[in-house]
Amino acid sequence: MLALETLHGTRIVAAPEALDALDAATWSTSVTVLRFAPDDVFVLGAETISISGEYAIVEAESGFVGCWLTDEQLAHVAEHIDWPLPVERPVLVQGFVAGVPAKIWLTSSATGERSLLLCAAPYACELTERLA
Amino acid sequence: MNEFVETLLDLQWHEPKSTYDVVIIGGGGHGLATAYYLATRHGITNVAVVEANYIGSGNSGRNTTIIRANYGIPESVRFYQHSLDLYSTLEEETGCWIMHATKGLLWLAHTETAMRSERARCLLNTACGAETVMVDPQAAKAICPQLDLSGGGRYPVLGASHHVGAATARHDRVVWAYAQGAMRMGVHVLQNTQVTGLLRDGERVTGVQTANGNISAGVVLSAVGGNVTTIANHAELRLPVRTHPLQAFVTNGYAQSLGPIISDTELFCYVSQTARGQMLIGAEFDPQPSYSTQSSFNFLQSCTSKVTHLLPFLKNLRILRQWTGICDVSADFSPIIGHTGVDGLLITTGWGTWGFKAIPAGGSLMAELIATGKTPPLLEPFGLDRFASDQALADQGSTGTR
Amino acid sequence: MLWLTCPICGRRPIDEFSFGGEFPTVPDRITDPATRDVDYVWMFDNIAGVTTERWFHHAGCRRWHTARRDTITDAVLHTGIEDATDTVL
Ligand SMILES: Cc1cc2nc3c(=O)[nH]c(=O)nc-3n(C[C@H](O)[C@H](O)[C@H](O)COP(=O)(O)OP(=O)(O)OC[C@H]3O[C@@H](n4cnc5c(N)ncnc54)[C@H](O)[C@@H]3O)c2cc1C
Ligand SMILES: [Zn+2]
Repeated sequence: MLALETLHGTRIVAAPEALDALDAATWSTSVTVLRFAPDDVFVLGAETISISGEYAIVEAESGFVGCWLTDEQLAHVAEHIDWPLPVERPVLVQGFVAGVPAKIWLTSSATGERSLLLCAAPYACELTERLA
Repeated sequence: MNEFVETLLDLQWHEPKSTYDVVIIGGGGHGLATAYYLATRHGITNVAVVEANYIGSGNSGRNTTIIRANYGIPESVRFYQHSLDLYSTLEEETGCWIMHATKGLLWLAHTETAMRSERARCLLNTACGAETVMVDPQAAKAICPQLDLSGGGRYPVLGASHHVGAATARHDRVVWAYAQGAMRMGVHVLQNTQVTGLLRDGERVTGVQTANGNISAGVVLSAVGGNVTTIANHAELRLPVRTHPLQAFVTNGYAQSLGPIISDTELFCYVSQTARGQMLIGAEFDPQPSYSTQSSFNFLQSCTSKVTHLLPFLKNLRILRQWTGICDVSADFSPIIGHTGVDGLLITTGWGTWGFKAIPAGGSLMAELIATGKTPPLLEPFGLDRFASDQALADQGSTGTR
Repeated sequence: MLWLTCPICGRRPIDEFSFGGEFPTVPDRITDPATRDVDYVWMFDNIAGVTTERWFHHAGCRRWHTARRDTITDAVLHTGIEDATDTVL
């Protein structure tokens, strides 16, 4: 049974160019930048974020739950996905996992990193049950 | 049960003539019933029904055969109740066994909102002559012992509206009953004859072009199901209709009897039992407009997961066949019947996923309109002009479960 | 099963998307302004062939995109993030 826990991070909605710069910036290994859409990013593990861009919205975000996966767990989760996972790493994939809208931050386990499965908090029970 | 019912019927096929009083495009239930009532009620027999394929090859031969009148607006309840009444005497009238069976229908509610709309539906239906009563979960279970009142622990049943007069009938037998009745009176049914254009004299429609030559007509009626836009385009007629696929499937036989029709206003799925004992199951139409009759796995997946929560015994059955029809869904989810604003062209469309139950009423009232030139009161609300005059008949909530 | 390619997320089964409708067009031959309004609000081209339409990827990036689809075969010919103003209107 996966234990999905609240992820405390920062949600930024801004012009795509401003977020491109954020995406490209070098972060410490404890920071994860999840690009949901060209104008929408979710950052985990960063204390302060500065963003250029006149209309940028920067807010604390606790609306997602997630858990870091072992290789074995990831293989199990992948069985519940109808579409092919890309080979490139690291990469964010989004879509139905076991029929529930979810996202996976896929990393390369060769470098000792783990992948992050996340979904919107209201789907937490449903996703856990379906993956059990 | 003999599936080759047409071989038992007395049918007289004809070569096309060059002119008829009435030409009906489309040999589905609505086209053939209109021809039948023109001939039997109004003595108009110089009529041709022009069908692209074989009769009943459209939605009239591939629907889930539910006949009910529990709609959400008075205009519709009265219209469909009239159809229900005509269905119940159709065997007697035509001498054909259409396997009509009154079963009642349970419309399940899982939330207070749904309970409220079902209570309102009961009052409205009963006031308009379609008996519908609210029942509590125990009473629903007494009517249908197979129901899981907990909805598999996920969709608990709070109550249901019980539409007592709901029925089913064998779809292709209805088509053939009307065809036989009409042909006996001299109506020509021209199969494998696709209408490819309309003959015009100025604005007026004066007949049809077919692959086998032109046929002129006093009046042309379009009754072509999901293909209505193609016909309308020939007359530069704009319609509030989109064509959507609707899927259904059937299982192998269930040894017991499922009494009523079970539908669900919130899960949008419904289940009934055929005369052979098979379970006939359907759901909502596909969201995107399409002319493709490709069936899909995701339909099966979502539909089976819903119905097995309500009727767990379904898990032990196997799916035998799955199919799709393309439906003429109107913008307000009510039919569009009558004049089009183009002289010489009448229309019966917008039957969407709910028009099988309407075949007797649609056909007889359309025949009356053609014969008398006057729109019968039951049809008045359903004209195409209602959209321009801001009198649309919004009733999507009643069509979710066919 | 019908698949769509989200310009952001990639190829996904159709049940990950919501249909947002085709771009409404009013034929030039309709000139009366009131009739044009009625047509714009109610009438559909309901094309048997290639349509241009909007789709929303609700299970993924939650963004709208434009697709061109053949309604006879259901083949999806193109998807892109260009918005309504770039295309047919
Ligand atoms: C899966 C499914 C389940 C359904 N379940 C129900 C239900 O439970 N209850 C209910 O009331 N309704 C139901 N319906 C809806 C119902 O089947 C239809 O509304 C009804 O059959 C419409 O009848 P029709 O005569 O208008 O059209 P159709 O029966 O589709 O007939 C139209 C005919 O026109 C012909 N045609 C088309 N173009 C041309 C042309 N150019 N030239 C000549 N001929 C042409 C076609 O070949 C076809 O035979 C369901 C539909 C489907 C697909
Ligand atoms: Zn996407």
